[in-house]
Amino acid sequence: MRSQDKIRNFSIIAHIDHGKSTLADRLLEQCQAVSQREMEEQLLDNMDLERERGITIKARAVRMEYKADDGETYHINLIDTPGHVDFNYEVSRSLAACEGALLVVDAAQGIEAQTLGNTYLAIDAGLEVLPVVNKIDLPAADPQRVKQEIEDIIGVPAMDAPEISAKMGINIHDVMEDIVANVPAPSGDVNKPLRALIFDSQYDPYKGVIVYMRLMDGHIKAGMKVKMMATGAEFQVIECGYLHPLGLSPQDALYAGEVGYFTASIKKVADTRVGDTVTEVDNPTSEPLAGYRPAQPMVYCGIYTEDGSKYPDLRDALEKLQLNDAALSFEPESSVALGFGFRCGFLGMLHMEIIQERLEREFDLDLVTTLPSVIYEIVKTDGTTIYCDNPHDYPDPAQIEEAREPFVKASIITPQEFVGNIMPMCQERRSIFKDMVYLDSTLVELHYEMPTNEIIYDFFDALKARTKGYASLDYELSDYRKSDLVKVDMLLNGDQVDALSFIAHKDMAYARARRICEKLKDNIPRQLFEVPIQAAIGGKVIARETVKAMRKDVLAKCYGGDITRKKKLLEKQKEGKKKMRSLGTVQVPTEAFLAVLKLDEE
Amino acid sequence: MKNKLGLYIHIPFCASKCSYCDFYSFAANDSQIDEYIKALIKEIKNWSEKCTQYVVDTVYFGGGTPSLIGGDRLVSVIKAIYSEFNVIKDAEITVECNPDSINEDLLLKLKKVNVNRLSIGIQSMQDDMLKALSRRHTAIQAKNAVNLAKKHGFNNISLDLMYALPNQSIDMVLDSLNQMLELEPTHLSCYALKVEEGTPLAKQNPILPDEDISADMYNAICETLKNHGFEHYEISNWAKNGYYSKHNSRYWDLSEYLGIGSSAHSLFNSQRFEYSANINDFILGVKPIEEEKVDGFSQIEEFIMLALRTSKGINSLDYEQRFNKSFKPIEKALKKYIAHGLAQNIDNTWILTETGFLVSNAILSDVLTSIE
Repeated sequence: MRSQDKIRNFSIIAHIDHGKSTLADRLLEQCQAVSQREMEEQLLDNMDLERERGITIKARAVRMEYKADDGETYHINLIDTPGHVDFNYEVSRSLAACEGALLVVDAAQGIEAQTLGNTYLAIDAGLEVLPVVNKIDLPAADPQRVKQEIEDIIGVPAMDAPEISAKMGINIHDVMEDIVANVPAPSGDVNKPLRALIFDSQYDPYKGVIVYMRLMDGHIKAGMKVKMMATGAEFQVIECGYLHPLGLSPQDALYAGEVGYFTASIKKVADTRVGDTVTEVDNPTSEPLAGYRPAQPMVYCGIYTEDGSKYPDLRDALEKLQLNDAALSFEPESSVALGFGFRCGFLGMLHMEIIQERLEREFDLDLVTTLPSVIYEIVKTDGTTIYCDNPHDYPDPAQIEEAREPFVKASIITPQEFVGNIMPMCQERRSIFKDMVYLDSTLVELHYEMPTNEIIYDFFDALKARTKGYASLDYELSDYRKSDLVKVDMLLNGDQVDALSFIAHKDMAYARARRICEKLKDNIPRQLFEVPIQAAIGGKVIARETVKAMRKDVLAKCYGGDITRKKKLLEKQKEGKKKMRSLGTVQVPTEAFLAVLKLDEE
Repeated sequence: MKNKLGLYIHIPFCASKCSYCDFYSFAANDSQIDEYIKALIKEIKNWSEKCTQYVVDTVYFGGGTPSLIGGDRLVSVIKAIYSEFNVIKDAEITVECNPDSINEDLLLKLKKVNVNRLSIGIQSMQDDMLKALSRRHTAIQAKNAVNLAKKHGFNNISLDLMYALPNQSIDMVLDSLNQMLELEPTHLSCYALKVEEGTPLAKQNPILPDEDISADMYNAICETLKNHGFEHYEISNWAKNGYYSKHNSRYWDLSEYLGIGSSAHSLFNSQRFEYSANINDFILGVKPIEEEKVDGFSQIEEFIMLALRTSKGINSLDYEQRFNKSFKPIEKALKKYIAHGLAQNIDNTWILTETGFLVSNAILSDVLTSIE
């Protein structure tokens, strides 16, 4: 058994691009946890995609040994956190596994909304927050101003905060000493029954699910029968140990205060929910750890393959991704226009984009995805309440007593000069202004209540565009509110195209319908006869465009009996035809769907 | 009864290259031309023994510009054909000419060897259009050339018209057409300009009439020619009754033709083959090779593609007999176009309308997909 007072558990809170991953690498170097040669750039982010997008998708943890200036050797556990609002809950669970958090702030850019959100999460969780000012090597760096900002806005002492450059390796030692001196040691009771917090898990084809956990009380060892208190699943521990930077390091047992992993031939990550409490079957704790909630998808969309015959590949790929991502949900659905596919649920837009990108990149699939939707709550005239995320399932208006849509509480932090750009944009999106707070002399925090379905289309991109990238957004689901919802159907040549139906607020429906009609018109090639494009609510057409009939498509010359050119041209045309999707009598190229379904470029 | 055969003789020489042209032709010197003619005559002799079972009822000199090489050379080739092949009396013998190389000497010599049809590449009766295409003649030259030919007894004359030219309006097309009609041709070929990659014209990035305007041009041409008593017997070809091009009709009804000369194509004995496009290969006696096969194209596809170009169309009973295959899938594909005025069905014969001709690629790709 190891003494808890030499253990430090901490997370790093930082905005995207503020240098979290680089700092993590430098800290590992300080501990000689990894030799330079072994060191891959930014070790903590394993996935290619994370590295490219500069965001951490899945939390990881590492254990380092650090010989401090006081001559003692400390065991330091760094628990990485995802840095995006979609993964708020995951962040909160990672933070709950720590006693302290480094708040990394860019010396030039200062505090941003997500940083603030996560910092409040850390403070609420009772963590010691240690500010670090990074990127002091930048010409625009102003550490003094940023420190003042941290004290003014967050209210934690920052004047003695280390001023570092993770990139250049400046003052990293100060950070380590700060952690040792100021992050409290854990104070669990090793004699109590096992209580461990799951903060992440990962599927391994050989060992099954590897569960990442923080022991709060008691101990865990191989052979012990454990139980996941929320899911009720029971397993026998096969192996437990520390999370060394380069792999797993098996130990006989782990004790209160420590961070590590266990394996138990667990087949699916769904059994090991983030936030769940692990306890011993024969000696259970009476109190599970607070704060667990099951992953709740917020955004849904249909995912199809461009090539319909790839449907089984898509299923395999989703199953593989789900092994590591319990928050991803999917079930089969079919569409007349797009064939067989899956209705997928995501934590948010970023989560959705990441999954789509991984499907395309790691599994080499070409996807067609339908417009994202939130979950609507519909009270029907027969008194029942249904939840509907798919326009296909939306009830007939005559059967609807009341329709409700989800709202979020949104907070936008921006330099004040952009407030004038942001406010009309929020108003256009039916948002309710709550208040505006000056964080300091230049930074402003705006609070809004926003319909979730206004955020999921293009809000984030529009916000960035109108604030030169300076504004940042944080939001959390608040409640459902009564709303004037309509379902809009799109018709091509009189036939409904199911994949293009959408649910929207009455006031927004017309503009969106217009846009879709126009995009269809621009992207559907002329057919042999005129094709009307209509958007309709119930039987009422609200927007209309026409694809004119093709007038001329002919190869006139057949010169000197050489017909090879003509044959080749027709063959090419036939191939092109096969790539089209037949909707009734209309041939629609997949690109037309892609153009329509990609609404965020406006 | 002997089989009928058409002979195509390719003359790949031009005085200069037109800006839109991507066919094999070039300006050559006299000795090159003479060598080529020698090789042509030799190759005609080589073929004769394989053609003893045939009578030749059409001969067509195409190019390039056959008229450019002069009457003597053309006559020597025609004489070789007469001596090596069984050419029937009244055979249709066509020579393609450009207005700038038509002269009295040429016409006299051609007349003597029974050339009875001239196809003259006028293209436009507007000098600025002709200039843009870098044609070598003017409208007046064209007029004079046709009148000279008529004076020498050539009364079966076909004229070429190009439309959808850069900056061209419908009125301009009709003006050219009407001026041509004044010359009283028996036959007209009207082609839309297609800008081929790599041609000088393509490099100029010309502003072309859009799809709607060029369709309107085509419709206006159809209308005008109908009013002048022409029959629209193929997508791009019109003729007075009895003056359909017999030779060109071979290409559309899959009857046999033998093409001799560099880059000439043949359909002979159910084989499609072509000579190398390089004139030196031809002079050296390199034999033709099988035409490049296009995936998905058998005789059936070729037949449908070519027959639907013509006003004869496809007779479903003929089709079933010829290929021993049901016509039903084709009928099903074509049927839906009747309501849109693109196809017609009269007594088991399926034809495309003039509106249908204009979008024949789209219809054909649909029909061909339906029989896969």
